[in-house]
Amino acid sequence: MARDYLRAQLAGDRREAVRLIEEALAAGTSVRELHLSVIEPAQREVGRLWQENAISVAGEHLATSISQLVLARLYPHLPRSAGNGRRAVVACIEGEHHELGARMGADFLEMEGFDVRFLGANVPRESLVALVVETSPDVVGLSVAMTFNIPELEATVEAIRAALDPAPTILVGGHVVEESPEIADRLGLCILGSNAEHLVVRCKEKLGC
Amino acid sequence: MLTPDRMGAVFERLSREICFVVDAEWRIRWLDERAKRVLHLDEGASLREACAPGGAEKLDRLSTTARSPEGCKDPWEVVVVIDGAPRVLALHAAMLEDGSLAVLGSTVPEAYAQALSQVSTTLSEMTSLHRESDRQQRELLRRHEELVRVHRDLDESTRGVVALHAELGDKDSSLRRANEVKTRLVANVSHELRTPINSILGLTKLLLERSDGELNSEQEKQLGFVKQSAESLNALVDDMLELSRVEAGRILLRTAKFPLPGLVASMRGMLKPLAASPNVDLIFEQAPNIELEQDEAKISQVLRNLVANALKFTERGSVRVTATAEGDHVVLSVADTGIGIPLPEQDRIFDEFYQVDSPVQKRVKGTGLGLTLSRRLADRLGGSLTVESREGIGSTFRFRIPIVHPEAREMHELERRSDEAPAGLAPILVVEDDRQTLFLYEKYLRGAGFNVVPARTVDDARAALRKINPAAIVLDVMLDGETSWQFLRDLKNNPETREIPTLVVTVTTSGEAMARALGADEFHLKPLDREWLVLKLRALARLGAVERVLVIDDDQVSRYLVRKHLEGLPYEVLEAAAGLEGVRLARERRPNVIFLDFVLPEMSAFDVLDELKKDPATRNIPVIIHTSKDLAVEERRRLEAEASAIVHKQSLSREVAIGRIREALEKAGIHGRHGGKE
Repeated sequence: MARDYLRAQLAGDRREAVRLIEEALAAGTSVRELHLSVIEPAQREVGRLWQENAISVAGEHLATSISQLVLARLYPHLPRSAGNGRRAVVACIEGEHHELGARMGADFLEMEGFDVRFLGANVPRESLVALVVETSPDVVGLSVAMTFNIPELEATVEAIRAALDPAPTILVGGHVVEESPEIADRLGLCILGSNAEHLVVRCKEKLGC
Repeated sequence: MLTPDRMGAVFERLSREICFVVDAEWRIRWLDERAKRVLHLDEGASLREACAPGGAEKLDRLSTTARSPEGCKDPWEVVVVIDGAPRVLALHAAMLEDGSLAVLGSTVPEAYAQALSQVSTTLSEMTSLHRESDRQQRELLRRHEELVRVHRDLDESTRGVVALHAELGDKDSSLRRANEVKTRLVANVSHELRTPINSILGLTKLLLERSDGELNSEQEKQLGFVKQSAESLNALVDDMLELSRVEAGRILLRTAKFPLPGLVASMRGMLKPLAASPNVDLIFEQAPNIELEQDEAKISQVLRNLVANALKFTERGSVRVTATAEGDHVVLSVADTGIGIPLPEQDRIFDEFYQVDSPVQKRVKGTGLGLTLSRRLADRLGGSLTVESREGIGSTFRFRIPIVHPEAREMHELERRSDEAPAGLAPILVVEDDRQTLFLYEKYLRGAGFNVVPARTVDDARAALRKINPAAIVLDVMLDGETSWQFLRDLKNNPETREIPTLVVTVTTSGEAMARALGADEFHLKPLDREWLVLKLRALARLGAVERVLVIDDDQVSRYLVRKHLEGLPYEVLEAAAGLEGVRLARERRPNVIFLDFVLPEMSAFDVLDELKKDPATRNIPVIIHTSKDLAVEERRRLEAEASAIVHKQSLSREVAIGRIREALEKAGIHGRHGGKE
């Protein structure tokens, strides 16, 4: 299934990709499983293929946009628990374009009953801080993939902490923490793990719910 | 001229490719000018270190490939961070003799890179929007469900309230029914009790009168007890009957005008004998000189009750009856220096059969209904009955009633409206004893162009007919059947009134045959139906000539002028060319108003006036003197006393004629009504 999906992604066949997902959904595969066993591995494979120089940057964009579409299709089908009364804001910081992981994390939090505001990729720091102030969430999840965005991450965390007292719990996730986990310690942040499931576990740990 | 040198310079400018040489560690050993510009790196710098995450590994793979026998065929994309921003380079590499790599790189055109990132940003934003709209949709759905739930809750509570209302309604009507049954039962039982009580009283009286032989003293004492018991039983039955009548709303008020001092004087005469104890003074204070329009008998009944009560509970001191005016009310208070009533009991003494528990109470007799009845009567009289009392000091009962009973006042209002009704409204004489029904008639007919002239008795109706000539008569036969039928009989036998359309209203169909036989023009069963009433009256009423005007004048032109002026108005004009003929017509046709020429050939205007005054049938017809003569002072003085108005022939116009007739009729109406009552 994951292989078929990847093939459709690389071929740029979005209809086939959507068909595969909807078929699986109709056959009773859970949204959670589709996230964790199909889309996430496929996206990792896309990254690996680029690394192997098997696909170009354009091919990578194409494959990722198909996953965006599929996630949007799946979104209304998320099995939602009763609200747990906790609010979360999930965003990619300014300059960070890799948003798929953050999106999946946001979806998982929603399934757990969080009230989630997902802001997407490349969120200007000011907008991000303003929204955090406005919604006063229990947790803020920031996604950073590229190490060269670390200075922006530091600035964003600082801005949030300056704007809100008491500051919300800030979790950081994405490729960068897999690369340089020491960054979390340095900023006094919590690593939310390498995938959406870890994010949920961490969130619940931190919030004690 | 094309030279390789010059072409080379042009290509150099156009080229987007960069050239550089690196060692095995990707340290730059040499680079061309373009590479310097693009990479912002100098010789000795490490390209590996400038790479974005994953880039260094990719460069290592590229080295391996370039050193392999096949060499590098496809370009390798590597992301290099230049001035903090990622930039994609496509690299080709070949191994040089010394083991270093010659690298040819090309940058993806800036515009493409930007477009690609724009597209991906747009996509991201669109999916976010989709997500947000989905979220809002869910929120709307949730609110909708909440509203539905709230609605359902409200609906349920509304239904609950409605059910509760219905239940209360049921309870209410069943209570009312129970109360009605009770009232009827009491009335029936009381009637049934009366007969045997009367027998006991009568027989006891006979025995006490020794009509069947002598009694010994013991027997006489026993019979005295029997008589006393029967009398108190009788009083109880009387009170119960009266109370049941009040409760059934069957107490008819008979309001009349009478002076307050007269009432107090007659009370004094009636109640003095009750004040038997030498220790108690019964004092009636001088009442203000006010004329009441009330039911005198009912007021007396309440006062009697209060005074008798006060005397019962006062062992020494006084019982004082005072009458004072309070605006449009009169307060009759009965103050005693008796035992008083404890505060908690003060409200309850008006309840049926409630009696304050006291040694005095046990001694004196009473039915326990007197105050209940008094309070009900006070209500019925439009007033109230209250008490103020202090234990051991005394009680004061305040009986407050309107000087004019509201119903009487409403009747006056109705009569006033009828009197002041604008000309052109057809007068309808309504004979009906119930005031409320009269008001209903007025309400129904006023808007339809009729003026209700109320008559509450057949006598009133007869009096009204002497004054006005109604367009129709509505006769309610409920009021004392036989009298009404006789009135109808008389109405239809009299040539003067025979033509007035008469509409009979009853509550039973049985009256219809009788009504028709006596000449009723229409018949209707109660309840009243406005539509029907107005329709029938419109059809029946003689709306054409409601007022008759008699013109007595020997001059044909003058008569013609009056007729002309009144043409098209609801007046019927009768003409007489001479005094005698005029008087005859006045008697026969009963005009509503007479125009009388001052100068007549055979008979003077004064003679005509005298003739008219002699006959009660014509006495009240207003006369307008119509003259062309300049009147002498003495003549004018006399005419002003005897006639309604004096109009000069030269000043006669349509407006003057109508105005004078109306004034004369109004004056006559007021005058006539006073005459009728006297």
